[in-house]
Amino acid sequence: MDMKEYYLQKIENLKRAKAFQTKEKIRKEGLLDEDDYGRIAVPDEGWEIIPNHEDGSFYGIKGWTDNFCDLMDNHPTYIDENDAFAGRWIYFMSKMRPNKWNPSYPFTHLIANQEKYDIIHGIGDDAHFAPDFELGLQLGWGGLLKKIETSAAINQGEEQEVFYQAHKRAIVSIQGWIKRHIDELALMIQKVEDPLSRENLLKMRETNRAILHHPPKTLRQACQWIIWFHLASRTYNRDGAGGQIDTLLQPYFENDIKNGIIDKEEAIYYLSCFLINDPIYWQLGGPDGNGGDVSSEISFLILEAADKINTSLNITVRVHDHMNQELFDRSLEYLIKHKNAWPRFSGDKGLISGFMKNGYSEELARKRIAVGCNWMSLPGLEYTMNDLVKVNMAKVFEVAFEEVMTSSEIKSTAELWGKFTAHLAKAVTTAADGIKHHLKYQKYNEPELILNLLSYGPLEKGRDVSDGGAMYYNLSIDGAGIAIVADSFAAIEQRIEEEKRLSWEDLQSHLNSNFEDENGERIRTLLQNSERYGQGDAKGDKWASLIAEHFSALVKNESDAEQNQCFIPGLFSWANTVGLGKKVKATPNGRKGGEPINHGANPTPGFVVDGGSLALASAIAKVQPGYGNTAPMQWELDPSLAKQEHAEIIGAIIKTHFELGGTLINVNIMDKEQVLTAHENPDLYPDLVVRITGFTAYFAMLSKEFRQLVVDRILEN
Amino acid sequence: MVLEKGMITNLQRLSLHDGHGIRTVIFLKGCNMRCLWCHNPETFSQKAQIERIEQKCISCGACVEVCGSEALSMHNGKVHYNVNLCKHNGDCTKVCYSGAMHQVGEIYSSEALYKAIEKDIPFFNSTGGGVTFSGGEPLLQHQFLLETIQYFKSKDLNVVVESNFNVSWNIISKFLPYVDHWLVDLKFINAEKHKKWTFTDNQKVLSNIKQLDNEKVSYELRTPLIPTANNIKEELLAINDFVHQLSNCKQFKLNPYHKLGEQKYKNLGLEYNLAHINEMSHSEFQYWSNLIKK
Repeated sequence: MDMKEYYLQKIENLKRAKAFQTKEKIRKEGLLDEDDYGRIAVPDEGWEIIPNHEDGSFYGIKGWTDNFCDLMDNHPTYIDENDAFAGRWIYFMSKMRPNKWNPSYPFTHLIANQEKYDIIHGIGDDAHFAPDFELGLQLGWGGLLKKIETSAAINQGEEQEVFYQAHKRAIVSIQGWIKRHIDELALMIQKVEDPLSRENLLKMRETNRAILHHPPKTLRQACQWIIWFHLASRTYNRDGAGGQIDTLLQPYFENDIKNGIIDKEEAIYYLSCFLINDPIYWQLGGPDGNGGDVSSEISFLILEAADKINTSLNITVRVHDHMNQELFDRSLEYLIKHKNAWPRFSGDKGLISGFMKNGYSEELARKRIAVGCNWMSLPGLEYTMNDLVKVNMAKVFEVAFEEVMTSSEIKSTAELWGKFTAHLAKAVTTAADGIKHHLKYQKYNEPELILNLLSYGPLEKGRDVSDGGAMYYNLSIDGAGIAIVADSFAAIEQRIEEEKRLSWEDLQSHLNSNFEDENGERIRTLLQNSERYGQGDAKGDKWASLIAEHFSALVKNESDAEQNQCFIPGLFSWANTVGLGKKVKATPNGRKGGEPINHGANPTPGFVVDGGSLALASAIAKVQPGYGNTAPMQWELDPSLAKQEHAEIIGAIIKTHFELGGTLINVNIMDKEQVLTAHENPDLYPDLVVRITGFTAYFAMLSKEFRQLVVDRILEN
Repeated sequence: MVLEKGMITNLQRLSLHDGHGIRTVIFLKGCNMRCLWCHNPETFSQKAQIERIEQKCISCGACVEVCGSEALSMHNGKVHYNVNLCKHNGDCTKVCYSGAMHQVGEIYSSEALYKAIEKDIPFFNSTGGGVTFSGGEPLLQHQFLLETIQYFKSKDLNVVVESNFNVSWNIISKFLPYVDHWLVDLKFINAEKHKKWTFTDNQKVLSNIKQLDNEKVSYELRTPLIPTANNIKEELLAINDFVHQLSNCKQFKLNPYHKLGEQKYKNLGLEYNLAHINEMSHSEFQYWSNLIKK
């Protein structure tokens, strides 16, 4: 039998199974404005959490360990004979709690300002930093247990003993889960008649036997080991961080090829199964430190596997001066071919030079890779709270504007800027204080039981990664709503101060009525047609740069070297554009109350008549926060441009954005008619994938409100 | 020296079909042909004029109040525009905040034009692109255009000019040292048909193309393929013969007829005479394209 055809058939079967599982998940669990995660639906009468607190939730190392181990002990097995690997993510354990923060550690002193400025504070949030899979691949579960034993002997004490015991219990329960799959495989092998399927299951069993205690030695074993770790980590608290997948797998692949264990077709089949298991954030390519690129043959095979699977995928290609042009070209080819929002692109130049401004070396900066939604991380080396803490700058503006209107004798943009920056400073400090509170008590709330295992420090020191266990604390605070604020300043400057078409009081009156008073709609269009952020050299651009610069300085100012706390600014809203917008009344840029704020660092939709892609690429490059975190460019690429004949042009726009200082590009290529039809009847397009922000999701899985947001974004661009 | 100023209708960024790489196309106002299929009717007149974009109107009536010529009126809560009464003084555009009443045509100096396109230079540089002057017929504003192109060349920009070549050779020849590439329209060989569909003769056009060919500069020819006008075998073969007698034409291609400009005629209160003609299918276009390749 032609094995290439055989593998393709297996992959098709897996895709069909996934489509069915996604449908089933929507039917049982409803719509979800989040990533697909490759998770399958929870079985009927499934596992329930074991609360250890009167509020019905569970807290602390004992609570988390008891729950996780119990879940692992009772977790269903999942084996598909079409798959090369065992296991699927089912339970979202952290989401099953009724409450995510231990009430014994209140933050009442922060609540007033958190609400005033609509801050997403992140207290009690988890994961959002990267493990180092290489550590796991080197040690295996047995090696990790040994490391725990050795470290426990050095760090003695009551708290440490509990800490080490918890991690040991977690690993043993994961091993038990794997072991049940091995047992299940034995039964399946007896029943299956097709010789090729039988051989596959035999190999699957051997693979799992080999890695139950020992480190992986082959490509199949390495992939399966990573899958078990991230399935456990996903189950524990949704962690979805990946790593530099090509260099992680390269030695196993090359060794297998050298020893004649696999051929390339088999490798592609394994990689396809690996990718369909979970849309983890993986990076491909990147600088090697010697003027070259880390990519190798397996980087291309990973892209080929993605081409075959073509589901929800979060692969990022690192773009730099000495990148592998062929890899870049191939990634563009697939982006255009599938129009399925993968891959994404990250810009090395801005990221590295920015991160070095925090006082880090170039060598370390190179290791900070694209492994999350909007974020970069040093695998195994840092704790970050990436993408968890957001300051709603549009809300801060609203507070400042109201203060000017009630207490300032002279009303001017200068006065408003003074009030805005003063409130922004308070908001940023509130956000930073929230992070500090989190760092102080998170170990009593939710220790990072699984991610600690693949971090450098927690096991060695006997301290949770959130509690001094990590090497670096590069703590992220993102600003959201930059375009709303910039355009509001610009509209006031242009229409009130320069053209004198209306007064401050007129504006206030229209805002209070949500533009529904006499002449309200006319004034709204006047404000909306002011010089907006994104037009290039417009008033809005000037204000956006000022805001970005000021926000970055405020966040950096919260850093405390003595406490090993380095705060890093970003501009990102994640999928919170709807929620954050609901908290903000009508704004002077002509936005009505409750409407969504702008997406990440993107200008507001409709900011230019044509040439939107170039305007977007230029504008976002100019507001980069500049310290190694991102202000992503969310690019709704017109399908008329997204043709193979224009691949070079698309590539040039990507490279130029990065050359200008950009950090991350997320691309959507969506046909307007298709997206409108899918919005009306999502069931017609079960495979339609959209990149919401940094993550992708099945369009059919989004709520109607969220689908509308995606539709508006695409139509208006 | 008095610096020239030009009348511009639009700057179109990220253009991929009017020269190599990413380009900004600068549309100069005014044309000396009246091609019935033209999708840029706003460039016919050299003067600024008013267009009404009905979809943007919020029916506030502010434009009606300031209109001194009764071109704008309010009926049943909706604004109506009679272009024949319009004096094009632009008063309505100043009070129209939604952008429904819009003035087409803006005066630019060379420097202002450069400032407007400057932001895309990084993208020109990374793709070998630049600026394309189109219209209308850009060479009608030849003094301004020459000054602008010289200025742009001093900034190292790649410059393409798209022209119908219905101007004197003396004008064209002044541009030869500065233009990197020419895009020239070749609509008909048959003089009668040229006259019927464009309201101008084609002798000057054909003669200028031959002259250009002799100059050995970089240029290409483009024929808009218009159903019922020149999608006729003998006409296309005649065009093809003409092209094959040239020595230095870099490329010759057909451009398919489209109706994207139809709405613009409505906005300007003009009649679109080809409303009854459908766009041709891809396969038909391919057929004609193959014909000229032989």
